[in-house]
Amino acid sequence: MSAQAPASPPSPGGPTGSSTEVPLFYRRGFRNVLQQAIYVAATAIVAWYVYTSLDLREFGFGFLSDPAGFAVGSQWLIDVDGVTNSRLTMYLVGVWASIRAVLVAILLSTIVGVVVGVARLSSNFLVSKMAMLFVEIFRNTPLLVQVVLWYAILLVGAPIIQNVVNVGDFFFLSNRGIAIPWPVPSGGLWGVPDWFVGVWVIALIVAGLFAMRVRAARQERERETGQTHYSNRWAFSIFAGAALISFLLLGVVVSIDRPIIDGTQYAEGMVVKPEFAALVLGLTAYTGAFIAEIVRASIQALPRGQTEAANSIGLSGYQRLSLIILPQALRQMIPSVTNQYLNVNKNSSLAYAVLYDDLFRVATVVQNKAGHALEMFFIIIVTYMLISFAISAVMNVLNARVTSHRL
Amino acid sequence: MRFPTLKGRRLTSALLFAGAALVAGAVIGACTSDEEDQQAQAQDQQQQQMVQQQEQPQAAQPQQQQQQQQDQPAQVTGEARENTVQLVKDRGTLLCGVKQTQPLFGFREPDGSVVGFDVDFCKAIAAAMEVDLELIDASDASTRFELLANGNIDVLIRTTTITASRDRELAVDFAQTTFYTGQGFAVHAGSGIGSTADMGGATICVQSGTTTEQNLADHFTDLGLSYTPLGGSDQETQDAFLAGRCDVWTADQSNLASRIGVLDNASDFVILGELISKEPLAPGVRDYDSEWKDVVNWVVHGLIAAEEMGITQANVAAMASNPPNTAIARLLGVSFEGGEVSTLGFDSVGAQFIQRAIAEVGNYGEIYANNVGDAVPRACSLNALASEDKSNCPVGTGGILYALPYR
Repeated sequence: MSAQAPASPPSPGGPTGSSTEVPLFYRRGFRNVLQQAIYVAATAIVAWYVYTSLDLREFGFGFLSDPAGFAVGSQWLIDVDGVTNSRLTMYLVGVWASIRAVLVAILLSTIVGVVVGVARLSSNFLVSKMAMLFVEIFRNTPLLVQVVLWYAILLVGAPIIQNVVNVGDFFFLSNRGIAIPWPVPSGGLWGVPDWFVGVWVIALIVAGLFAMRVRAARQERERETGQTHYSNRWAFSIFAGAALISFLLLGVVVSIDRPIIDGTQYAEGMVVKPEFAALVLGLTAYTGAFIAEIVRASIQALPRGQTEAANSIGLSGYQRLSLIILPQALRQMIPSVTNQYLNVNKNSSLAYAVLYDDLFRVATVVQNKAGHALEMFFIIIVTYMLISFAISAVMNVLNARVTSHRL
Repeated sequence: MRFPTLKGRRLTSALLFAGAALVAGAVIGACTSDEEDQQAQAQDQQQQQMVQQQEQPQAAQPQQQQQQQQDQPAQVTGEARENTVQLVKDRGTLLCGVKQTQPLFGFREPDGSVVGFDVDFCKAIAAAMEVDLELIDASDASTRFELLANGNIDVLIRTTTITASRDRELAVDFAQTTFYTGQGFAVHAGSGIGSTADMGGATICVQSGTTTEQNLADHFTDLGLSYTPLGGSDQETQDAFLAGRCDVWTADQSNLASRIGVLDNASDFVILGELISKEPLAPGVRDYDSEWKDVVNWVVHGLIAAEEMGITQANVAAMASNPPNTAIARLLGVSFEGGEVSTLGFDSVGAQFIQRAIAEVGNYGEIYANNVGDAVPRACSLNALASEDKSNCPVGTGGILYALPYR
């Protein structure tokens, strides 16, 4: 067809200088339209199929306000009993349990990661090889296996409560969990109500903000004059002094609750249950191994000159690390570490395997009782996404501070 | 000149994607166009899923729920579903969902065979239908009703309690109760716990997603006591209790008795006499499947009737060839002194379906003796025949088992 067609002026999109008309299929404009049309059609087919397959007549979230009918092992800020509380409340207890585990795991895995990552670069053979062993073991085995293994160790390896391991009446270890001393509000010297502890917390926040202003001001002067103004020491002294004085003035409103054993139960203190411990240990070791590699890579990515320069101006090993190396490596680290934190959030659903009543576990129980699988999975996904977004938001702020700010 | 190249590559990938989407759409369309085919395919797929499910219950769950959503319109409107009697006959195999983790009721032996009280009812129904029997693992409490709703199994005989909410909210209908039990408690010997009133503050192992969990919450609310639940699967809760993680283990008393009874150190545990609930365990079938429900129902009644009439596995053949009275002749589907044989409307399975069931597994009493035996004593329990001699039973006890009239 094109061979017999008379020569026509070249189409605007087609190659110039062509004597024959470009077949329709090869025209850019047509292809663009075709491409879009196919994409839209395919999307529409899939969407239509999904829509028609779903039965949305009973879709709704009213079932969440019914009484739960089950209790959960996780504690919340308030007591929940499963008979008077709604399914939604139980779910929120599960959400809080997840968040708690995620926060603790993030904190611990960061500490583990930095320590192990720096240790891997140590010139001490034993230290670096131990760190390497840690990383290789925990990075190369499935997290599910690790979590289940930790739980088995805590359940079977730890003694039963009748044979509890007692460390000076301060720490107890059994397969009911680890009991540790814990601060609780108390009446103090003047028998004030419990909420007075809130006053102290406010005082702490005010002192903290003030200390940070002082620190910034002294750092500024340090930059201007070149003389050291001990900004960190000043800030810490102000904060600690204010905390101590306000604590004493309020009349010692916090007391340390030592755990005791009442029959076969822990009472008082804080009990870290084996389920929680297994999950957090698993997440910490696994994520810590990944963070260690990120830390190591970020440090190694720095030009060698940085270390040499630090050495040449006579900084000690600790100063070199804390003043020169880590602040710069931090810029590299934060985006990668953010990913790891998000993984901690997602992996926390492995709580299912160790009987920890996290949001996923509670949600499956709700769904087992009430049906409404579609709604429950919708809620589960949204919840995990919200937690992830919150983590990302915090890390983005941190990242912006680290990258935009002077070091 | 680089731009068109890029364009071409993009087009190719877009076409590939669109092609893949179209193929996927076509496959999905083909699957939904022919219901018969879909049934057959679904059966195959679901059997494969079953294998996966045994290994990864969580992973398989969402997929099934999606399917459940697809099935729902038929259930909600009450349109004629497939008749399971016909389905089973056409397939030549009965898919029976049983537990594989509970000794005496449904348990996988080391040699791979699955045996138990519930399994014998599966065998009875399969024999009544003159089809092969395939036992499907429905050990996971949280997915058992989905297996049924999705057609992975034809009947669920898995120590499942009849409750109003299950009957109404889930796509399940219940046949005649096969076993009457109640929720009981096991404690460690020497713990000093004699009843639920002593359990304030205790850690209690309970299976998630069960009526047990709800009864426990209700009961402790009524008592005004607090407790800490540890929820998990049947096996997980057992392991945790035996390891000393929990003070108390609660489940159906028959379940506790069967599980503790097979332990080497059974004497380290005490099953309390207290029952806090009624737990009638019954076979479940799908909603809107009344002919199939009738068959399951009357097989159970027939086996109870056989015990009442003294028909056993050993004498059923002799009884059938020379029935001593009209009732027995009718139950076995044979002529009494040359009279007419009526199917009583059970045309699709034949007049002798109960006779075949008895020949396969014996009457109710034999099934009980062969599987449960003395682990859960039958005399004076609810599971004894209502006609038993109650003169030796404590006041307030005695059997209630009673077959409806087969005529």
